[in-house]
Amino acid sequence: MSGPAVELRNVSKKFGANARPVMDRVSFRIEPGETVVLLGSSGAGKTTTLRTINRLVEPDDGEVEVEGREVRSWDPIRLRRRTGYVIQDVGLLPHLSIAENVELVPKLEGWSPERRNERARELLAFVGLAPERFASKRPKELSGGERQRVGVARALAVDPPLLLMDEPFGALDAVNRRRMQDEFLEMKQKLGKTIVIVTHDVPEAMKLGDRIGVMHAGRLLQMGPPSEILGRPANDFVAELVQSAEADGGARRVPPPRARGEGRGEH
Amino acid sequence: MKRAKPVVFGALLAAFAAGCTGARPVVVGSKNFTEQVILGEMLAQLLQARNVPVERRLNLGGTLICHRAILAGDLDVYVEYTGTALTAILKEPVSHDASAVYRQVRETYRRDLGLAWTEPLGFENTFAIAMKPETAKTLGIRTISDLKAHGEALRPGAGHEFLEREDGFRGLVDAYDLEFTHRPRGIELGLLYQALMEGEVDFVVGSATDGLIEKFALTVLEDDRSYFPPYDAAAVYRPSTVEREPALAQVLELLEGNLDEAAMRSLNRRVDDEGRTAADVVSSFLEERRWVTPERK
Amino acid sequence: MDTLRFLLERRGDIAQMTLEHVFLVAVSIALAVAIGVPLGILLTRRPSLASPVIGFANVMQTIPSLALFGFLIPVPLIGGIGNRTAIVALALYALLPLLRNTYAGIQSVDPSVVEAGRGMGMTDLQRLRLIEIPLALPTVLAGVRISTVNAIGLATIAAAIGAGGLGTLIFRGLSMVDSRLILAGAVPAAVLALVADGLLGRFEKRFGWDR
Repeated sequence: MSGPAVELRNVSKKFGANARPVMDRVSFRIEPGETVVLLGSSGAGKTTTLRTINRLVEPDDGEVEVEGREVRSWDPIRLRRRTGYVIQDVGLLPHLSIAENVELVPKLEGWSPERRNERARELLAFVGLAPERFASKRPKELSGGERQRVGVARALAVDPPLLLMDEPFGALDAVNRRRMQDEFLEMKQKLGKTIVIVTHDVPEAMKLGDRIGVMHAGRLLQMGPPSEILGRPANDFVAELVQSAEADGGARRVPPPRARGEGRGEH
Repeated sequence: MKRAKPVVFGALLAAFAAGCTGARPVVVGSKNFTEQVILGEMLAQLLQARNVPVERRLNLGGTLICHRAILAGDLDVYVEYTGTALTAILKEPVSHDASAVYRQVRETYRRDLGLAWTEPLGFENTFAIAMKPETAKTLGIRTISDLKAHGEALRPGAGHEFLEREDGFRGLVDAYDLEFTHRPRGIELGLLYQALMEGEVDFVVGSATDGLIEKFALTVLEDDRSYFPPYDAAAVYRPSTVEREPALAQVLELLEGNLDEAAMRSLNRRVDDEGRTAADVVSSFLEERRWVTPERK
Repeated sequence: MDTLRFLLERRGDIAQMTLEHVFLVAVSIALAVAIGVPLGILLTRRPSLASPVIGFANVMQTIPSLALFGFLIPVPLIGGIGNRTAIVALALYALLPLLRNTYAGIQSVDPSVVEAGRGMGMTDLQRLRLIEIPLALPTVLAGVRISTVNAIGLATIAAAIGAGGLGTLIFRGLSMVDSRLILAGAVPAAVLALVADGLLGRFEKRFGWDR
């Protein structure tokens, strides 16, 4: 692929006529193979931004392009089949087995049962879940961390070039979270995909992202590699953010916005 | 057998209400078909014209309900038919001598039940097996015996009471040696003729004085084996009621022998065909007959 | 024991009327499901319609059953005396629980599962087929169960308009003031209701996914 994997140009979005914009002229490019993290507190607009990429949200203004084509010109179904989507609560289908869950998109794409099956086993192993043990279990039998891995396996099923992840490790405890982040970094190497992650966890962003986009109140304040965000913060807000992360070195949230009426609960 | 609770409660309430006003009302009952409601309404309006307080308990669910109610004192008066009293209530064998039946019924009621009968009102209301004239003509059916040949095809319809009474459908089938492939359908009496006209059933067991028989010019089959006893209409009442309310005796006397078949059928027709209420039809009738004068109402 | 002997004597009648009764209920529930379930699904896609439609079904339920039978008699095509009118009335009564349960069942499916389904590129129909209907099924089946049990009771009234069924025995018992006849109709109806509740309840459990 030549050209950016994903590009947003002046994208704006409001929910409701008199509301504050959830996205305010957001623009950025993501190169193929990059991992970009959208960082901000809840209500910053980062999840909405993510969801304009697979057309789960339609922008009011601006253009969103995936693989050089305007998202509006894609068939939304085809677009989403080519885009892995991982959400915080995972959303595994409780009435299906783990293997059946992972095989969902391949099934929708018409793969043969043998091919689907093999792929599911391959992916479960890849995310660290022994297929013999896990394939026929039900989601309710798994721990939070295990379910999260299945979510990733499912998203990778048809090998999409683009992976969108919304607070993927948000529901995990600190220990598992660390572990998953490390495993993710390993996976990242092997996968070579374009990945967009949304998080409010500053150290996580620093750890996982090739570049970080700091968002606040619908605006993209700064986009750059971790070193740049740390070393040359674009404004006070970013600077404060970075300081708090450095000071602790542990998991620290982006301070919640002071103004009322924010935090739409965009998740 | 438990008496119908609502009847007791209603009577208690009526008694209470009457107690408040100082006079106990006469409770007038009726069965649940048009003619009965008209007769009950007539009794009620005649009493009211004489300033007697009245409680109406019309449209009760059938013969047995009325009978038990008057035995228990929940009703003071209602109109019954001699044949019905004979076979369904007293369960005596059928006889075809109208005056003998009347005497027997009156005597048995007085002696064994403590209830009194007026003289016959003047009309008979026997069961009438009715069919659409075209059907009767096509199949060549004139008498009830003629039904036998068509037992496979014909679908019977009747009220629930007739279907259950020993002297009802079962007795009829026995007496005429009939056999119907289609089970008889039980239908609310008010809907019987509609069912016939809609073609849901091929013949119905209605009453001879039904207004709709005239309206639809239905063929009534002849009771050639004289299965049905005579059904002279007369009022059944509690003697104690007449003692405390002498006006009731006057009212009953007024009706005795003064309501003939034509008059009854015409009253029935005004309600069933013209859609007027029983109360309205009765009040016009009573004025026509000058049994009440307008100011007295 | 006199009652028991009586029931035995009349077992032919009772059997026949039980069959008629089952027929009335089966057809009307089938009708209500055929209308109510797709309608319930449609309402989840057009929430603005939900209020008026469910409101209508609500009103139907508040009409006293005997009155509803009566109202329907003069209506051309679906009315008249007989079991067709009864079936229409029973179906209208069954509509509300079915509609409401289908609608509520689908609405209450875990939103993150639905979101995941959308995100992975399921069409609306695929979401319905693979996620919403399977997960709403227990609730829908509960609606079927409730409607069926209700209908079995209501169908006893059908006898007033000549539609047959176990109510016939009850009406006869009423006219003769004979409680044995009333029982001959009421007891089988109650048994039918219990059996239906049990069978459909078991069926419902089979589909109980733990969310």
